[in-house]
Amino acid sequence: MYAMPYLAMQWLHQAAINARRRDRRGHYLAWSTLAGLTNGLMVALATAFVVFLWSVGLWWLALPMVAVLLVPPAAETLVRRVLAPGGFHRLAYHAGRHSRPGADPGAYALCVAAWAARDGAAIAWVEARRDTRKPLGDAEVAATALLAAGRGDTATARSLLRSLTMLVEDHPAVRELAGEWLACDAAERGAWDELAADAGAARWPATPLTYLLEGIAARRTAAAGAPTARELWARWLVAPRRATTRRLVAEALAAPAPASVGHNPADPADPGDAGPLPRAVAAHLAFDSRPATAAGLAHTVRSWDAALGDATTRSWLARRALELDAPAGAVDRALDEVAGAVADDLARVAVAAELGAPPDVGGPVGTGLTRRLRHGRLDALEAGFSRWADRRHGNTVLPAIDEWREFIALWTAYNAAAAAGGLELRRLAFPHAFSKGNHMAAWLWNKREEYALSHAISVWLLAEALVVGDAEAIEYGHRNCALSVPTRLGRIQP
Amino acid sequence: MSARPPGAAPPNAPTTTLADNPFFVLAVSTEASRIEVEREAQKLLGMLELGFAEVQHYATPLGPRARTAELVRAAVAALRDPYRRLVAELWARHAPPPRTEPATREPAAPTHDGLRRALGWRP
Repeated sequence: MYAMPYLAMQWLHQAAINARRRDRRGHYLAWSTLAGLTNGLMVALATAFVVFLWSVGLWWLALPMVAVLLVPPAAETLVRRVLAPGGFHRLAYHAGRHSRPGADPGAYALCVAAWAARDGAAIAWVEARRDTRKPLGDAEVAATALLAAGRGDTATARSLLRSLTMLVEDHPAVRELAGEWLACDAAERGAWDELAADAGAARWPATPLTYLLEGIAARRTAAAGAPTARELWARWLVAPRRATTRRLVAEALAAPAPASVGHNPADPADPGDAGPLPRAVAAHLAFDSRPATAAGLAHTVRSWDAALGDATTRSWLARRALELDAPAGAVDRALDEVAGAVADDLARVAVAAELGAPPDVGGPVGTGLTRRLRHGRLDALEAGFSRWADRRHGNTVLPAIDEWREFIALWTAYNAAAAAGGLELRRLAFPHAFSKGNHMAAWLWNKREEYALSHAISVWLLAEALVVGDAEAIEYGHRNCALSVPTRLGRIQP
Repeated sequence: MSARPPGAAPPNAPTTTLADNPFFVLAVSTEASRIEVEREAQKLLGMLELGFAEVQHYATPLGPRARTAELVRAAVAALRDPYRRLVAELWARHAPPPRTEPATREPAAPTHDGLRRALGWRP
């Protein structure tokens, strides 16, 4: 009877958290406020009850009541404010377990322990805990990513956390941590476009801090549905670490709207109404002087293709070749040489910035750039997939997390090659990737019992099969992806 | 042994673009005659030999570049060849005016170093 108000608050708190995870609109703030209020009330009720027990001499009953009633609502705050930043990995683990993070509390506990781990002993302790949890799921991948982040290897952390979206096992509390780390990382790098894209796709359930950073990103990129100044300040009020984030909010509200990418008439180097060749040279110089973007690359390639294919360029060259007494064929050779030099230069920048060839470019520069970016990638991909699948025949059995990391490396290389070489390269690369990947997925399912990992590979192969239109692979893919996946959260029927 | 066709660049000849364009190296107009080009090259070589400060750099649309005697000789050789002059003209005629001050690269989006740590994460 006396426990009813506490249990009601607990139920309301969990309901508010669950609703917040589903909602990124105006109700988010209301659910967050309700979650905060109910949590505060739980702490107040528990404290009052413990003090009462203590004051009437029932101290022996008060102590277990602290563990049962007071620790769970306070644990989450304790982990985030004290234990994880302070490096208390064991305490963070146990507090995480008792913070009622949902089914399978060990998953969230493992991640907060990884977040707190600082030295080699702590990392080994977390890794040992991780390796006892089989089969591999999102928590084990997230914990490995957070350990990598702790070592300063942010690229690995980023790649592993992003790979969580491929795994069918879904611990909401773990996904919240992943989303928050990625949001903070993007904000630190100034990658507001990346963060706005994550928010737009609702890839992660948002914590109040993630929700605030997403709002800042939306303002910075002038994304559709960006919050007003009042809404942004409301998000700031609900989020933690307000002293740090106040500056970010003020900057976002003061920042001008982002400039349009590509041809910018206000550009001082813009030749205005000059011919296509001066426009192409100006576009190239502008592309060289700014951080490389896919849109800037596409604009430069199209400018050059238009200029080199233009009749006025060819007639000017023909006239000058005649005046200079240049040898026969000089016009075509000059156009080829310029296209080659431009494609070389753009390919160098594109490779450094990890940009793919722009789609639908068929001129001499576009074709040359695509060829240069594709060169060698297909062979490297085939060799990588073969090495991966050949391990199955030997006795080289890697831990599940390393199997996943190897697949993610291949998947990243495949995507980079596909972006650079387009659908043509994808059609060439897919049969080999499918053959090897399908065998690995079957091996991981049947022999290793790594169901979530195997399912992720099958889902990716099916998506690729649909893109390239491989009927046999589509049939296999549908059959494999329809299998229900055993996870720690029960069997998941995709 | 096959002879190089007339007008073809030697196999290791650098591709003419903007930074190493002979017209910018010699600081002559694209309308300059062959005699004017030769005269300017001789003058530059003499001044470089005597260490005149004002000829140590040349202006390009990408900003100033260091000028050497080898670069001047390569430039004048390129402009003697009708085909290579044609390619050099194609770049130089259509480029923005040369700049004497170094080009500034626009910075990437401003970063907030240490923000992740300030928000409770490591490192």
